Amino acid sequence: MKVVIGRYVPGSGFFYSMDPRTKIIALILLMIATFLIDSFALMLGAIGLIVLLMMAGRIGIKRVYLGLRPLMFLLIFTFVFQILFNRQGEILLSRTVYYSFLSLALAVGLVVFWFFTKKFTRFKLFYFVIMVAGLYAIFTEIGNVSPFATGTLAIYEEGLSMAAFIMLRLIIIVTLSTILTITTKPTDLNLGLEHVLKPLKIFRINTEDIAMIISISLRYIPTLLDEANKIMLAQASRGVDFKEGKLKDKVMQIVSLLVPMFIISFKRSDELANAMEARSFTPGATRTRLHQLSWKRLDSVAIGIAFLALSLSIVLRISPWI
Amino acid sequence: MDTLLGDDILDMIEIKNLGFSYQEDGVALSDVSFNVEKGEWLTILGHNGSGKSTLSKLLVGLLRPSSGTITVDGQVLGEESVYDIRKKIGIVFQNPDNQFVGVTVKDDIAFGLENLQIPRDEMVKRIDEYANRVDMADFLEKEPQALSGGQKQRVAIAGILAMKTDVIIFDEATSMLDPKGRKTILKYIQKLNEEGVTVITITHDMRESVLSDRILVLKNGEVLKIGPTKDILLDKETLESSNLELLLPLEVMHTLEQKNITHPKLKEFLWQLSLNT
Repeated sequence: MKVVIGRYVPGSGFFYSMDPRTKIIALILLMIATFLIDSFALMLGAIGLIVLLMMAGRIGIKRVYLGLRPLMFLLIFTFVFQILFNRQGEILLSRTVYYSFLSLALAVGLVVFWFFTKKFTRFKLFYFVIMVAGLYAIFTEIGNVSPFATGTLAIYEEGLSMAAFIMLRLIIIVTLSTILTITTKPTDLNLGLEHVLKPLKIFRINTEDIAMIISISLRYIPTLLDEANKIMLAQASRGVDFKEGKLKDKVMQIVSLLVPMFIISFKRSDELANAMEARSFTPGATRTRLHQLSWKRLDSVAIGIAFLALSLSIVLRISPWI
Repeated sequence: MDTLLGDDILDMIEIKNLGFSYQEDGVALSDVSFNVEKGEWLTILGHNGSGKSTLSKLLVGLLRPSSGTITVDGQVLGEESVYDIRKKIGIVFQNPDNQFVGVTVKDDIAFGLENLQIPRDEMVKRIDEYANRVDMADFLEKEPQALSGGQKQRVAIAGILAMKTDVIIFDEATSMLDPKGRKTILKYIQKLNEEGVTVITITHDMRESVLSDRILVLKNGEVLKIGPTKDILLDKETLESSNLELLLPLEVMHTLEQKNITHPKLKEFLWQLSLNT
């Protein structure tokens, strides 16, 4: 079975009994706080606190790590980018880089080799690090054969710390959002969002309609996936091979899936709109709700703690003695 | 049905000279007039393209008639009154998937109630009551993917019943179901009608019409004939001219009659047989 990242996982613990509004607002507050923190000790402290909270709320660290994994390459990319291009503070390391035909050819060869072999290893991240190390060796040592140009690879103190900061921030934000999505049912999340967005009514944005749209989308995703499978089978029985083929064939295959999907979706939505209208639905009208949110003491405490964390990070940011 | 007792009071729906066309040239319905009495079960029979689905959409105000009037419970259907009339007429459509609005069974039954602004306590009560009525009480938290077509149609019925409408239209509501699902749905329709709900079933399936009080045969957008169920079911000429077939036992009865083989007991037996198809 395919595990969708960040999907709701049934469970117990205080994160599950919290009001979705609390979780959304706390997430926003804590995200702002994360961006305000500017010392390593505090950042690590924040991570420690989050891990403690996760343990107290009985959320497996592994599940959150699964949420982080697709972002690993983005994280490493920003890390490397920061290290290479941020030139502030003390120089920590400086090496001469040789650009020669040999080094360029080797580098391209290595990247291509990595690209085609990476799917055969279980340790993708480790393999990626080895590739980066290989590139480093090629440009600084192995490629030093009649270079036509040289440059310097320098790592600056500021670059390193900025890189580490950005990475930690991203990790915290993704972790917090993952906690929200795996402990809140999509319907509850939607309901919470509807309430949190209510102030937008000032701008004449009807948040209830937006919530209705999201809820119907959630309802129809499995139905449409089913439909897509059926169409793929139908097209396969007519000779369309969805697995192989050149790029041109691939485009045709996708067209043969998308066109019927579009037509069916339009037909469905027309019928659904009729069914909704016949059951007295009027967009923008007041409705009573079956699902009611209930604010508990736990929610007040949680919001209080999130506010405390935010104000603490503001104080620490602007106070002169730290 | 006894219509002698002042039919103004007894008429739930009154349709007069109703006409509708989708485009300038194609006429979907023309000069359709009939009444539906309170507590009656009327079947609207017609082959594909006879205008029967158009008629159902007109009745709930999803389409606007080009001519004629629809009066529901004394109220003329118009731009203003359409919202009131939708509170009186519920409709179950053909495709069980395309009318399931909620994420779960419970949410779906609640959808219409939320629109009617029923208070939450009342809503919870009605959801339990009507889910029980269609034997779906054990499925309240289930998602539509986990249900069969027949179960989804039952949820749709519960959703309409919970809105406590006076009339329920079943627009080919059983045509996408397997025989077992079809029989269950028909059983519920019969029960509802016995409890006093006015029922209109729209179908091309003769078997669905046997339990109703009256049948209206629609052909090319016009009323071909309207009358008591037994009369229409035995009217070979009318049915065949509108591309419909006699039910098998009645076909047998007809053939036997032609061969001059008549026996009251046999006739009665074949009639009873046709009621059970």
